[in-house]
Amino acid sequence: MKKRNFKFLMILSAFIVSCQLSAVSHQLFAQDNDKLVSLSKKVIEVKSSEDAFPLLQELTGLYFKEHKYNECIDYLKSLVNRRKTLEPLLNYYIGFTRYSQLRYLEEAQAWDEYFNRGNSYRDEIAVSLEKGIEAIAPTDALGVYARLTLWKFHKDQNDALSDGVLSDLMNFVLSYAKEAKNPAAIKEVAAEFSAYGEKAKASSLYKIYVDKIVSSKMNDEEVNRAALSFYEDGNLDVAEGIYDVYIGRIKSSLAKEKVVVLLVEIARMFAYKDQGLSDALYAENVFRKVEETGVKDAFDERLIYLRAFNLEKAREFQAARDFYRDLVQRYPQGAHTDEAYFKLGIINTYILRDPKAGKGYFENLARKETLSPQVISSLYQLGLLSQWEGGLVQAKGYYNKLLEKAKDGFGGTVSLTRERLKEIDEARPIEYNLRTFLDASFKEEYVHLDMNKINLKPHPYRAKNKETVSVNSITHTPESGCLQLDLQYLWSGDLGQARPASSDSSFNAVYTQAGTKEINLVIVSPAGIIDRSIDLVDID
Amino acid sequence: MVHSSKFIVHSSKGRGRKVIILLAACCLFVSVLFLNVSLAATKQRVYIRKLKNSHYQLIVNKKPYIVKGVCYNPVPAGKNHEYDWWSDPNKPWLLDGKLMHEMGINTVRIYQTSENPDAVKKVMRDLYETYGIRTILGSWLGFWEYPCPLYGDKEFRDKIKAQVLEMVRLYKDEPGVLLWILGNENNYSFSGQVNPWSSEEINKESDPRKQRYMRAHIYYSFVNDLAAAIKEADPTHPVALGNGELIGLDVANEFCPDIDLVACIIYRGKTFGNIFKSLRATFDRPILLSEFGADCYDAYLGNEDQNMQAFFLESQWRQIYENLAKNNDGAGNCLGGIMFEWNDEWWKYNEYDPAGWQVHDCGSNWSNGSYYFDIKAKDNKNMNEEWFGIVALSGELENGINKRIPRKAYYVIREFWKNPVLKTQGAKRKTKNAK
Repeated sequence: MKKRNFKFLMILSAFIVSCQLSAVSHQLFAQDNDKLVSLSKKVIEVKSSEDAFPLLQELTGLYFKEHKYNECIDYLKSLVNRRKTLEPLLNYYIGFTRYSQLRYLEEAQAWDEYFNRGNSYRDEIAVSLEKGIEAIAPTDALGVYARLTLWKFHKDQNDALSDGVLSDLMNFVLSYAKEAKNPAAIKEVAAEFSAYGEKAKASSLYKIYVDKIVSSKMNDEEVNRAALSFYEDGNLDVAEGIYDVYIGRIKSSLAKEKVVVLLVEIARMFAYKDQGLSDALYAENVFRKVEETGVKDAFDERLIYLRAFNLEKAREFQAARDFYRDLVQRYPQGAHTDEAYFKLGIINTYILRDPKAGKGYFENLARKETLSPQVISSLYQLGLLSQWEGGLVQAKGYYNKLLEKAKDGFGGTVSLTRERLKEIDEARPIEYNLRTFLDASFKEEYVHLDMNKINLKPHPYRAKNKETVSVNSITHTPESGCLQLDLQYLWSGDLGQARPASSDSSFNAVYTQAGTKEINLVIVSPAGIIDRSIDLVDID
Repeated sequence: MVHSSKFIVHSSKGRGRKVIILLAACCLFVSVLFLNVSLAATKQRVYIRKLKNSHYQLIVNKKPYIVKGVCYNPVPAGKNHEYDWWSDPNKPWLLDGKLMHEMGINTVRIYQTSENPDAVKKVMRDLYETYGIRTILGSWLGFWEYPCPLYGDKEFRDKIKAQVLEMVRLYKDEPGVLLWILGNENNYSFSGQVNPWSSEEINKESDPRKQRYMRAHIYYSFVNDLAAAIKEADPTHPVALGNGELIGLDVANEFCPDIDLVACIIYRGKTFGNIFKSLRATFDRPILLSEFGADCYDAYLGNEDQNMQAFFLESQWRQIYENLAKNNDGAGNCLGGIMFEWNDEWWKYNEYDPAGWQVHDCGSNWSNGSYYFDIKAKDNKNMNEEWFGIVALSGELENGINKRIPRKAYYVIREFWKNPVLKTQGAKRKTKNAK
């Protein structure tokens, strides 16, 4: 009898909820409507909160898709009395729905509802989530999600409670992690921490998550596949964590030669690229592991170049210099030798402020009989450095040699050379922007300019002929409130026919000749030079 | 040595004062001993009370006072900042005072007084006597002098000191005066990038960090000297240090024992971040948000957006209230806020173009990513100086004054002040109690 009554009640509940659903959901799309009805029936029938969680996730998702937040709340509230056992879960979803609604109202700038109902929605978020939290067991992932939503709510408002809620969330996650049935919740918190700028906390949770999912039962290949799948999903933090585990395992189980092959594969995956996912510093980390294997000739020409290029793009110039140097020493006739020599010249001269060493590389290159864009550019650099030092005769010598060698080619560099020669012939100083860059690079009084206050970013770094390269700069200036600094952007170098004005913090360049192009920038405020920077773009 | 300002009275519900009065009646010795403290507390119409839980409250005529303020500079369309509105025969402050009063504003902040003291007194009295609105008076401390403020130069400092003390002498007995603010964003000059100034010693130093410290030392010592002198002349009103963000306040902590509160200029968008707690750690003084707000022009879409301004202001006021005294969840060191600003000022986009003063310019001169709705504007310049008013100015005149058109923020903040219930905190307490 009791069983029959229970069954009847369940059917009745499902019927009532279905009726309510069809009343509130008539505006949703028909296929979503069918899904809503079917999901709501399932919610009525499920036995545990754990089983109901994914159903409600899908169900609320359907409402959210149409921004029917109020209808969603009505539905959730209608369930509260009928499914008492689901109350904590429903409270979480009520809070979560209101939170999503408030964010939507702000994003959509639906201000009437925001201003009229905002306070009561905020109240409902806090009350529902806190009620949910109180009733949730410490081993339940719902406790993580409820705390996470509550923290995001307070954090978005930056209110007085956000610190306390954050520490409660972190403690709960750490305790939950000990016996976590659903480690995905830990990953979600880590991802939110990362998005909200809590990098250290994110990193420690990612580590815990990786430890959880990489069980000892998984074989090496399964671990590798797990890492690759996170990489492909764009979650580099987790992918790197799992690759670390994978690398640790293969180092002790495979032959060194085989390890090198696998490590190189990983390093290539993470090395800098203009398109796609990369983490240049992690790639270098893996390159170091290749080195540690001690396998002779683990690094061939292509790999040394890749490592140097990767470091250059990570702006680890000193290390990049070391590997470009290694490359030219080991492969003096290699495919990237001229580029490497030229970059050695630029890095030493302008970035490491060692023009003597830099000139040595330029001279080495300039002596080459076989012409390349870098050979021509080296002559230009030698001329320019002499001109700045006041050695005008010597400068003219380099420039004329360049013109003689270039004949009708290398238009961009030739054009710059003619400008410099004209300056010498007319007894004029080097043009202002370039001169300021050279002064800032070599004069003792500017030795404190360390290229850290300007973030110069060309894209792509490796472009095709005539492809547009966008060059952007961000300056890190001292705070000045609404007293805005009047900044001047002094661009110089090879700017690919662009002539950015001193008010332009960015510009587009189009290069019509192959080679390595240097882009120089000095940023000046009314009080003087803020910093200088240089970057290199390779045109195929 | 660092010691807390004498202007902060440590007290709880005024019991201390009563005890002192009783003792004074019984024992001359005891009363003499405590006279300084008790007189300081009873004579002062305006002072700061430090509660037992270290929260700060502004007390005005024995009652807690939350500053619900607005920066006030009613420059009419077609004029610029040099216009002497104080002497305007049409008395715009009477119209503004009425609207302010209806909104709930109780304080106006004036950055710098006019050279006509009678006119200043008239404005202050009209606002106070008619509408109960108090005035905060301040001084730029010569920050906008050309070629630059010379805080390293004694002659310059003496000149500014004389000006400040003259302001105090003239207005200290005005019943509408709330407090004094010294400087505004002058600390941004420490980096040498804004309104740069130096001294022989600073020039000799090559390390920019040390140069910054030296400028901060010179400037804050000077401001403290002013604060001490003001207190001698006027022991009845607190003295605030005007400061852009919290920059330099670690140095102020060393050299500003006579400063009673910090008047912070903050533009951080939706909230003030962790400023209240940070101030506790760097320079433990009460804080008055003396300039904050949002403009109401969407520089990206190119149209007025009153909702955007109301959204930011409401959110900012919520945080101010969370951090007032007696709210245990907050830092308890906030005394209130002063929105920038009451009315639009049409001269601000290009102050050198008189023709432009007649036009409500939509141009922007600066960028602030915290005001994110229109940050995608060209060159990210999204802050429209001529559109910060809580009321808009109409080109149409009414009784010789540009008509005032209250914006949405006027109504939203008015409602917030009527019922500033912080529901999230109520909920939190409820659940705590339930536990």
